[in-house]
Amino acid sequence: MKHLSKNKLPSPATFERIVYKNPSEYHYMKVQLEFQDHGFRLTDAQFKQLIVLALRDLFGEVGAALPFDVLTYEEKTLSAILRICSSGLVKLWSSLTLLGSYQNKKCAFRVMQVSPFLLALSGNSREFILEE
Amino acid sequence: MVRFKHRYLLCELVSEDPRCRACLEERVLFGLVRDAIARAHGAFGAAACAVAFTVKYLNAYTGVVLLRCRKEFYQLLWSALPFITHLENKGQRYPCFFNTLHVGGTIRTCQKFLIQYNRRQLLILLQNCPDGEERESIRKSVMSCSLEEPQEDQLSESGSEEDATEME
Repeated sequence: MKHLSKNKLPSPATFERIVYKNPSEYHYMKVQLEFQDHGFRLTDAQFKQLIVLALRDLFGEVGAALPFDVLTYEEKTLSAILRICSSGLVKLWSSLTLLGSYQNKKCAFRVMQVSPFLLALSGNSREFILEE
Repeated sequence: MVRFKHRYLLCELVSEDPRCRACLEERVLFGLVRDAIARAHGAFGAAACAVAFTVKYLNAYTGVVLLRCRKEFYQLLWSALPFITHLENKGQRYPCFFNTLHVGGTIRTCQKFLIQYNRRQLLILLQNCPDGEERESIRKSVMSCSLEEPQEDQLSESGSEEDATEME
């Protein structure tokens, strides 16, 4: 019986697999602000101030300092795309949910889409119109 | 083991005015810390810390305070303490700040730390104190606590084993 130690098997090929838990650092939210009386308008600075106010109500000064960006803002429809780093998504979303009024006017935030990729917010299957 | 775990924060109230420590009361401190957390961490922080928040021990002479809160939210409480700048009592406003000395899982660990800390503080006081009656009285108290050391070491050794099982 020949001892097989002379015929050594080649060392296994090194195989490396990198798994990202979350490939994106930021989350993007498409939101729309709805007022009870529909004629109310806000500038983009007032819009951001409103969100900071909501964060301060629920999470205090530490929450109000959460760095988020308003990437686009449409004054007519009061809809915007927000960018927040992934660790702060839950805080931002919960404070938007619990915001009830602005300057004694009742309002509500409707969250249309949330995605870790900005490209996904360009299309929405609910608003997709088939053109023939 | 299913039980609610807490964190005990041992803090020291530092202020220039000696009257500030004298008017320190449990209710005053309770309201002060709760307002500071509400300012720093909002409605969420105030509610999270207020569940099991109590002032467990208060020493008006040395200004040592022991606060308790839930283990999951002790960092909210700890981070709100530096924002306390004034102590208001009966219309008198004294500037002060809180110095956190120790964070422990049980009251016993905090007590052991406080005993060691006070011993070290006495030695520091002895160094800083000029010659006279005060120096004599401090020297007497230092001698009295150091003579009891062998007995206290035995007690602390048996206590530390119990604490290790109590912590987790």
